[in-house]
Amino acid sequence: MSIVPKETIHVIAQSIGISNLHDDVAAALAPDVEYRMREIMQEAIKCMRHSKRSVLTTDDVNTALSLRNVEPLYGFASGDPLRFRRAVGHSDLFFIDDRELDCKEITEAPLTKAPLDTAVMAHWLAIEGIQPAIPENVPIDPLSAPPEVKKSDIPGLKPDQMTVDLKLPVKHVLSRELQLYFEKITELIVTGADDVLLKDVFASLATDSGLHPLVPYFTQFIADEVTRGLNDLPLLFSLMRVARSLLLNPHIHIEPYLHQLMPSVVTCLVAKRLGGKNFVNHWELRDFTATLIAFICKRFGHAYYNLQTRVTKTLLHAFLDPKRAMTQHYGAVKGIAALGSKLVRLLILPNLEVYINLLLPEMSSQDQANELKRYEAIRVYGALQAAAGNCIYEMLQSAPPSKKKPANNKSQSTTRKDVDGDASMHEEDGADDKDEGVKRRRRALSEAWKEDVEVGDLINSLVDLFGEGMLPFIPMREMSKCIL
Amino acid sequence: DNEAGRYKESYSKLRNWVHSSLDLYKTELLRILYPVFVHCYMELVAKGFAQEAREFFQSFRDDHQPQHIRDLQKLEGVITPQHLQENETACTLQENKVHVKMCQYSFELLLQYLQSTESMLMLGIVNSHINLKAVLPGQPAALLDDDESSSLPAKVQAVVEATNQKEIHWGILEGSLEDKFEKQIAAELEKADADKDAETDEAKKRAADGKVKKVKRDKAGKGLKAEPAARSVPRLKPELTMPLLTDDFERQALDDLRNRVKLGSTALPSVSCYTFVNTNNSLNCASISADGAYLAGGFSDSAIKLWDMVKMGEPSMYSDAGKQSLNKRPTPIRHYIRLVGHAGPVYGVDFSPEGDSLLSASGDCTIRLWSTRLNANLACYKGHNYPVWDVQYSPVGHYFASASYDRTARVWSMDRLQPLRIMAGHLSDVDCVQWHVNCNYIATGSSDKTVRLWDVQTGECVRIFTGHRSMIVSIAMSPDGLFMASGDEDGAIMMWDLASSRCVTPLLGHTGCVWSLAFSGEGSILASGSADNTVRLWDVNGSSKVTADKTRRLRLLKTLPTKSTPIYTLRFSRRNLLFVAGAFSPSKGH
Repeated sequence: MSIVPKETIHVIAQSIGISNLHDDVAAALAPDVEYRMREIMQEAIKCMRHSKRSVLTTDDVNTALSLRNVEPLYGFASGDPLRFRRAVGHSDLFFIDDRELDCKEITEAPLTKAPLDTAVMAHWLAIEGIQPAIPENVPIDPLSAPPEVKKSDIPGLKPDQMTVDLKLPVKHVLSRELQLYFEKITELIVTGADDVLLKDVFASLATDSGLHPLVPYFTQFIADEVTRGLNDLPLLFSLMRVARSLLLNPHIHIEPYLHQLMPSVVTCLVAKRLGGKNFVNHWELRDFTATLIAFICKRFGHAYYNLQTRVTKTLLHAFLDPKRAMTQHYGAVKGIAALGSKLVRLLILPNLEVYINLLLPEMSSQDQANELKRYEAIRVYGALQAAAGNCIYEMLQSAPPSKKKPANNKSQSTTRKDVDGDASMHEEDGADDKDEGVKRRRRALSEAWKEDVEVGDLINSLVDLFGEGMLPFIPMREMSKCIL
Repeated sequence: DNEAGRYKESYSKLRNWVHSSLDLYKTELLRILYPVFVHCYMELVAKGFAQEAREFFQSFRDDHQPQHIRDLQKLEGVITPQHLQENETACTLQENKVHVKMCQYSFELLLQYLQSTESMLMLGIVNSHINLKAVLPGQPAALLDDDESSSLPAKVQAVVEATNQKEIHWGILEGSLEDKFEKQIAAELEKADADKDAETDEAKKRAADGKVKKVKRDKAGKGLKAEPAARSVPRLKPELTMPLLTDDFERQALDDLRNRVKLGSTALPSVSCYTFVNTNNSLNCASISADGAYLAGGFSDSAIKLWDMVKMGEPSMYSDAGKQSLNKRPTPIRHYIRLVGHAGPVYGVDFSPEGDSLLSASGDCTIRLWSTRLNANLACYKGHNYPVWDVQYSPVGHYFASASYDRTARVWSMDRLQPLRIMAGHLSDVDCVQWHVNCNYIATGSSDKTVRLWDVQTGECVRIFTGHRSMIVSIAMSPDGLFMASGDEDGAIMMWDLASSRCVTPLLGHTGCVWSLAFSGEGSILASGSADNTVRLWDVNGSSKVTADKTRRLRLLKTLPTKSTPIYTLRFSRRNLLFVAGAFSPSKGH
């Protein structure tokens, strides 16, 4: 009849040393126990309410017990829900699984992280009755779906998917003057005005302070025109110069539009074909764009830490893919070289030997009959030479080669290379010497990206590869030290 | 054994008869079922049929569950005759007759039924415990009217009726800030008028075109003048000695009143939300100072934490220099001040009107006074014998009132360690306390489901408001002193007319405890904060102007949901910016 069974009373009696409790006594006590328990719980609920909680805790029960002048129950202060287990042999006796803990274990355990301290944050729940859409507030219900027309525009899209990504149309007012300015400039660039006028245009773009509203339109314009006018070299050149001017303008906050601008710029660097006719001088455009990319990376690299890595990744892919055209390789090499000698060491030098070996046949008149392709290969060779040379020059400037290393046998190999035609004369002793030289060269090149690499070795390897084309890059002082 | 069985049998017969009666009279007849049920149960218990009583209770409790759940919970444990004498609810039920009003016809129907079936048990219970009143000769009475009284014992009812006859003065105080503000405005208007007169005299001399101007100005002047006169509230002389306000504070407060934003149903307030994070369920209460600059939280670990919201942006304000030198390690910078002194959970905190001191009520039966300037405990007021649930400063400061588990509310002054008045009369815990704007009355809300209004000077109870179905957790007074709002555990808010002690209108909408209520500065909007993670704004003007028109109800203007943050406290600043505070408590999936 009571929710407290007689057996419980018996167990409690046994636990305080009364072994022969009469059944009637237990039956009489049970309802009272229930009543007292309910009373305590009522009080505990009261305490919970005054603590403004909706979950009853063991603390509440203890507070209620102390209100009734009853000793509180110790050892239940845990915030976790208690785990009861059924006692073996008794169907309705439960106990708390309270594991014994070794003090040593506790003292030697690493300190747990301190819980975060209580803090207060302030935000606007409503401004004049309207809840602002900020992360601190409950998200506002998504807008109702727009009119039917839009749904039919995108076939295969379920209507409920439509509502997900809706943005309120932003009203953006461009003044009449700005519109005129934009129209005029784009017209000049597309039609290709004379140089003097264009110069003024670029100067205006680079210095005018009121152009910020036009930035999205200009970036869009550049992107559109680059994709459309890949065959029109003067146009591409103008567009790149527009981009450069916008980047130079101190009053423009171009960062939000970089992601729109970058693809066009990279296209102008590593596209397969730029300009319609084959003999058009697109090399100049690539050179210009390479410096532009370097400039962008230098200026925004700190804000977008992955900007440069993404650019270099693209360039490296273009450089290492043998299926790409020579023009693309050229752009990639130029781009990497513009980003600095460190990247050249890191990305180009380790791959240099393999690449040169592939490149050499393309350059020789016997293997490559096509005049144009041969010319392209020679351009790439030149670009590589300049990149490697500039790199070695900078290395020498910052850290001169150690003096310990004698340069005896290197001079041999150098001279051998220099007098290329006479190689047969040294046939016998040159065989293993050459072998050893190749190994050393490989090692030097593949370790080029390391900071502490021997510059001397590197120079020699490069000279091996490029011949005396490398020499102008090496200052006289260093040359005397390590090559001769 | 048959005796016990007969209770069940006759009750179920009566129940069936009521349920099968005509719809027109059914609602009235249903009202007697609950008292009959409760008394059947208690008689069974009294006669020692514990088992049968339990069975009886279980089989019919669902009928009464929705309306009387809390009483049923309290009665459920009562099994032995001894419990009957101890249990608070059982005692009041036994000692008092319950009023049930019904129309003449229903009354006759009932009597006829009881006689014809010869169920003497039922007749006996109705006779001894229910005071049947046949009020209306013909038509059944309106449901709402009787709802409240049916649950109320007759004796209490009589007391309520008697006390509610007493006269109260609900006007605002002479010399209060509002009063001063209006006087200032009036003085300025007069001055402006005088200036204008002088001007117009000059203008008269000049030319005829001045006439047009003059007329316009006069009109404008009259419009302004008429406004304060229209909503004039009677002024009262204070019954207590009022503390003097510092000139600085007064100037600032008047300045604030001057810059107060006018709110209404079309001009909703801005709401600034202070969210406590990482409280681990240990925050019990919170309070915001009148200007929103300070925020205090009372925690279950006996500490009070005080945040200076103005300094929040500035880093390393409170890095403890002394500690730093001791153990070299830089102590983590705390952005709050910890006030330690209590020896039990802190259940209530309140800032003084000036914001320079703070009162806290605790489970250790004491109230402590803290200075927010010195960050130190100034006084400890002992008097209550049980936990103090709530404490509140009077609108002018200096005096404060407390509510306690010991069923009393007490009025104190800051300079005395003993209470000035003890208000006793509630039948259960006093859970919350609220001063009337004129400082002559305090209102207390209790677990006995009533709100009482006490005269501070005499210590007498002058009003009893009945109608809530559960424990009262918050009370607010309108700035004009005419109305009072009270919120209960179930989420109902009731708006009371102090003069007539009638409920103007119940405000339904909240689904959790209404922890906090506040009227806007000029009394046009009532804000309520609840455990259901919402702040609701109610239009007060709609009803208070037309109190006679009963159909006009308070309108819910806006519901502002928070991100799983139950609102613990809210208050309007003097410029009518609404500050709310609550502890972020994300629900954990169990």
